[in-house]
Amino acid sequence: MWSIYAKCMDALTAGLVLGGLVVLTTIAGLLIRGREGRAKMLTNTMRVTPEELGLRRGNLPFGSSATLVQFSSEFCTKCPATRVLLAQTAAAHPGVRHIDIDITNRPDIAIRFGLMQTPTTFVLDEAGMLAARIGGAPRPEALTRALDTALRRDHGHYTI
Amino acid sequence: MATTPSKKSAPAKGKSNPLAAKPGTTGIDPRGPRFGAVITFILLGIDVVLGLTGPSVQSGTNWAVRITDPAFILLLVITLIFAWGTFAGIARHPYGVIFRTFIRPRLSAPTELEDPIPPTFAQLIGFFVTSVGVVLALAGVPYGLVVAAAFAFIAAFLNGVFGYCLGCQIYVLLVRAGVFGGPRA
Repeated sequence: MWSIYAKCMDALTAGLVLGGLVVLTTIAGLLIRGREGRAKMLTNTMRVTPEELGLRRGNLPFGSSATLVQFSSEFCTKCPATRVLLAQTAAAHPGVRHIDIDITNRPDIAIRFGLMQTPTTFVLDEAGMLAARIGGAPRPEALTRALDTALRRDHGHYTI
Repeated sequence: MATTPSKKSAPAKGKSNPLAAKPGTTGIDPRGPRFGAVITFILLGIDVVLGLTGPSVQSGTNWAVRITDPAFILLLVITLIFAWGTFAGIARHPYGVIFRTFIRPRLSAPTELEDPIPPTFAQLIGFFVTSVGVVLALAGVPYGLVVAAAFAFIAAFLNGVFGYCLGCQIYVLLVRAGVFGGPRA
């Protein structure tokens, strides 16, 4: 019965396989960490409406000068911290609102906006145009830069 | 004899913690699940090596060989611990008990508390992946155990070393695919 072990991989090779697994996972983790929370500035003119986010237009859901739209889900380790950061940032800028959308029961929203992870943050300008997109917990400096861009955006570039 | 005052940082001054758990649940120290993930990926790494050097990579093994394979026994233990974390909740996880008893008293107070729901979900994902490995090993599928243990290792390693919850990200993709959630009635 134990003779079957003789045909198996030796411990050194198995250790090398494990070492390879550690190296590859570490590289993947560093890549994820490097990409997380960066702002991707968008120059195309994609417009987001409150209706698309499942909000009613009547309550003035968007900010008068910019809106931080956070997409969250039920099982999300970094959503609460992101909620705090975005709420504080919105409170520090007059006319900026923070909206938190739970996509757990709205897969249509996730598909519509190509959401692959939560939290994902959209920075909208005063017209609801998508100025920047941040995947993962936003880095504070990336958020500030994205919001500044949205607030200063030259509206001559597109038709409202 | 230490005469210097304790360096433990004071808890947040009077402010309510916005990162604390939702009402009705108890917030947990986020370093607890990270500590558990480190133990888990070490055990899974050992299991990958045991699996590769044992009979689970062979075809045509008999039952006695399969269930006495050390790699199988270790994966079964890991699966049962994941089941405990999933069904009893992360707050009652055995590694959490070790953390609170031996590690937490040596650390400063947590700067924030975490909602226990996401790490409990991560336990469920771990339970699912390792269960598949146990079933494949019992069925005598060559490399089934090793591949499942390797996937669970990757997830636990990312959680323990980088604080990245792979299961939580997969959850979003499953919501998109319509597996979870779905439109409200």
